[in-house]
Amino acid sequence: MKKNALLVVQIVVGLVVAVALVRVMDSRQANAPAQFAEDPLYVKAATAKRMSLAFNGLAADWYWMRSLQYVGAKIVGFEDSHEGRMDFGNLADLDLRLLPSLLRMSTTLDPQFIAPYEYGATILPEINSDYATSLLETGIAANPNQWRLYQHLGYVYWQRNEYQEASEVYAAGAKIPDAPPWMAALSARMKAEGGSRDSAREVYRHLYDSSSDRAVKDMVTKQVMRLDSLDQIEVLRKILAAYSEKNARCASSWLDVRNELRSARFQIDAMTNAPLDPSDTPYRLTEKGCNVELSQYTGVPRK
Amino acid sequence: MTDRIKATTPPASTEISTARSAGSRAIIAIARNAFREAVRDRVLYNLVLFVLLLIAGSMFLGELSAGQESKIIVDLGLSAMLLFGAFIAIFVGVGLVYKEIERRTLYAILSKPIGRGQFLLGKYLGLGLTLLINVAIMGVGVSLALTYIHRGWDPLVLKIWPAILLIYFELMLLTGVALLFSSFSSPALSALMTFFVFIIGHFSGDLKSLASSAGNVAARALFRALYYLLPNLTHYSVITPTAHGLAPDASAIGLAAAYTVVYSAVLLAAATLIFGRRNFK
Repeated sequence: MKKNALLVVQIVVGLVVAVALVRVMDSRQANAPAQFAEDPLYVKAATAKRMSLAFNGLAADWYWMRSLQYVGAKIVGFEDSHEGRMDFGNLADLDLRLLPSLLRMSTTLDPQFIAPYEYGATILPEINSDYATSLLETGIAANPNQWRLYQHLGYVYWQRNEYQEASEVYAAGAKIPDAPPWMAALSARMKAEGGSRDSAREVYRHLYDSSSDRAVKDMVTKQVMRLDSLDQIEVLRKILAAYSEKNARCASSWLDVRNELRSARFQIDAMTNAPLDPSDTPYRLTEKGCNVELSQYTGVPRK
Repeated sequence: MTDRIKATTPPASTEISTARSAGSRAIIAIARNAFREAVRDRVLYNLVLFVLLLIAGSMFLGELSAGQESKIIVDLGLSAMLLFGAFIAIFVGVGLVYKEIERRTLYAILSKPIGRGQFLLGKYLGLGLTLLINVAIMGVGVSLALTYIHRGWDPLVLKIWPAILLIYFELMLLTGVALLFSSFSSPALSALMTFFVFIIGHFSGDLKSLASSAGNVAARALFRALYYLLPNLTHYSVITPTAHGLAPDASAIGLAAAYTVVYSAVLLAAATLIFGRRNFK
């Protein structure tokens, strides 16, 4: 009995000491993971597929989740070092240099896995849009019947203002049997007025409706907010210009144009009387009341 | 007198069928015993680990996978099923014969009217039953996890079962390989060699491409021979397409079943041949 008690004590004490030792070792190696976090992947995607035997699907899932964790950790790290502010319209600040390899690994291991292609189409253009087009072209070659991949590739071309290419990709996607009719309409619109705000709105609307990825939907929501804010800023500038023409001076505060704002159906902030942008943040008067811009606290992306 | 002999001696066909049924009974008895032994050895305890893995996966994947939970549960569940099953087939398979020799129970068995081939077949079927139960329970576990994650009926629940059947065929073939090696080698070496066969079997596609790309005629012939003669396990690997909802068709399953039966028969015949020559005096 006494011997058993001694053994139990030995186990408990041993575990406590082991935990303490791990903590000490962790504190001594605090910088090591960060140092190696950006190391390129050692194994080529094709080799990894061969080595994964029958478990290539699981390995693809692993790299997919690692991609998400990688971006998530970068965002958290950026927000920690920039007072909690992250402009999702400018992901280039995150230095996501490992993301293309992670997504490439995931899609090589499982070429029919659509989610990494969609994710890449959303994030990679912020790093290098050639990575995005290359990934999506590989995806289309492996999944020629997935019209969504054509939609994403068209979207990447459209973002690069390459409307002719975008139109051709949408047209190619429209030929797939179960592709929705708006793919053909979008192809025509790209050719006719690719750069217009209405085209952008249409591209985003279809992207939102057809995607099941929350990250894509969030990105689209923000981009639609940006388009709405561009429309609103145009109207606000007209209101401010009319006031300055009528009174031979710029507005000293939003109160001066309160009636005009109400008739233009702007939502007004009760505290500052400023019109609210699509993220419900008040707009800011600049140039001594002659111009307007988004507040620094806005949730609307600038790009 | 002649009539009396006729009346008391059973006809030759009856004798053969009696012998056959006695042989079948012996095989079934050995199989049942092998299954009981596996249960006694707590082989099915791996199910607890599997269930814990699935529960953890179902609970945390929603946070990590960005809407790909069902695919990942299928990948995780079926891969774990194959991995756990392969470990059982290898480590239990290589001990099937060795344990009987070690405990000297083999002498008692072989002193009865039981052939060595029947003994091996019984052991093979016994482990096959263990694996069948193991795989079936795991399949139910994956189905429940899918239903839980989908918050209701998920069409993947039906589509995983052909893939589970193919995993079972692969495990049966692997059991045959383990049994063959254990008929002449030590358990450690048998396990190692069976594991190598498992790996090489999944590299069959590479053997084929090596056969077509090798410059040397002899090398080409060697790789081609290896490709056809070694167990080809790539045709059982349908986990990834299944996770995308693409179940193998009936002809693919039928061909895989035929391949398993034929190859297992070859392995058991070879094992019987080697085991029959062993001297246990």
